[in-house]
Amino acid sequence: MVIIFDSSTLILLAKIDILRDVTKEFKVIIPNKVKDECTKKDLFDSKIILSLLKEGLIEAKKVGATGTINKLCKDFSLHLGEAEALYLAMDEKCLLAVDDGPTMKTCRVLNVRFLTAIHFLIKLVKIGKMDKQMAMAKLEKLSFYGRYNRRIVEDALNRLEGGI
Amino acid sequence: MSVISLRLKDRELKKIEELSKREHKDKSTVARELLEYGWDYIMLRSYKGGKLSLSGLAEKLGMSVSETIDLLSDFGTEAPIGYDDYLKGFKAFEK
Repeated sequence: MVIIFDSSTLILLAKIDILRDVTKEFKVIIPNKVKDECTKKDLFDSKIILSLLKEGLIEAKKVGATGTINKLCKDFSLHLGEAEALYLAMDEKCLLAVDDGPTMKTCRVLNVRFLTAIHFLIKLVKIGKMDKQMAMAKLEKLSFYGRYNRRIVEDALNRLEGGI
Repeated sequence: MSVISLRLKDRELKKIEELSKREHKDKSTVARELLEYGWDYIMLRSYKGGKLSLSGLAEKLGMSVSETIDLLSDFGTEAPIGYDDYLKGFKAFEK
């Protein structure tokens, strides 16, 4: 399964250290602008992302269509990276991984299917690539960085405890 | 640095003087800091209200997206993801 990533989800998964596991299960593509946003400072998560790019587990793509990208930015209050990721997901008819509010709203308007960092954590357990105990620890970290509302975290916890 | 003149209300000047004394800084430094904090606050509010995206907020704050996520986590700013969107995410994964 090919999934286009926005900076928000990519960084969240890197922060809780499960991005490598995700890239082993899914084909992860990011636009060049997202790559720039995620790697411009020398931080823990940017090191992980750079390393995965080097290993070919994340693919960075050049996105053209400047006119459409600029229109997306203007019409939906998006930044370049978010607009490029959204455009790429529409163009390649793929899922978009995003944890940004305005981009999710735009996905609803343009009928683009999207998912967030928390879905990847649950999926890894579901396909047997992570044990429940580790997933619980990661969920705790993800709730902090991802700032999901209580209902979402409780539901995720139930899914993990209840065997998904 | 540029110099501008502006009119302040008495209570605004009082706040600058109070902070200047409390933090042992000159009034110009305190005024500049307040301006920065005010800017950050307005940008955070715009993000919370959905008027700014995460990357947009990062740019306005002069931070990377990663640092901005850390800041939002420290402030406990809830992510703008509804429970319905969360549920839809599972369906999107299955298709």
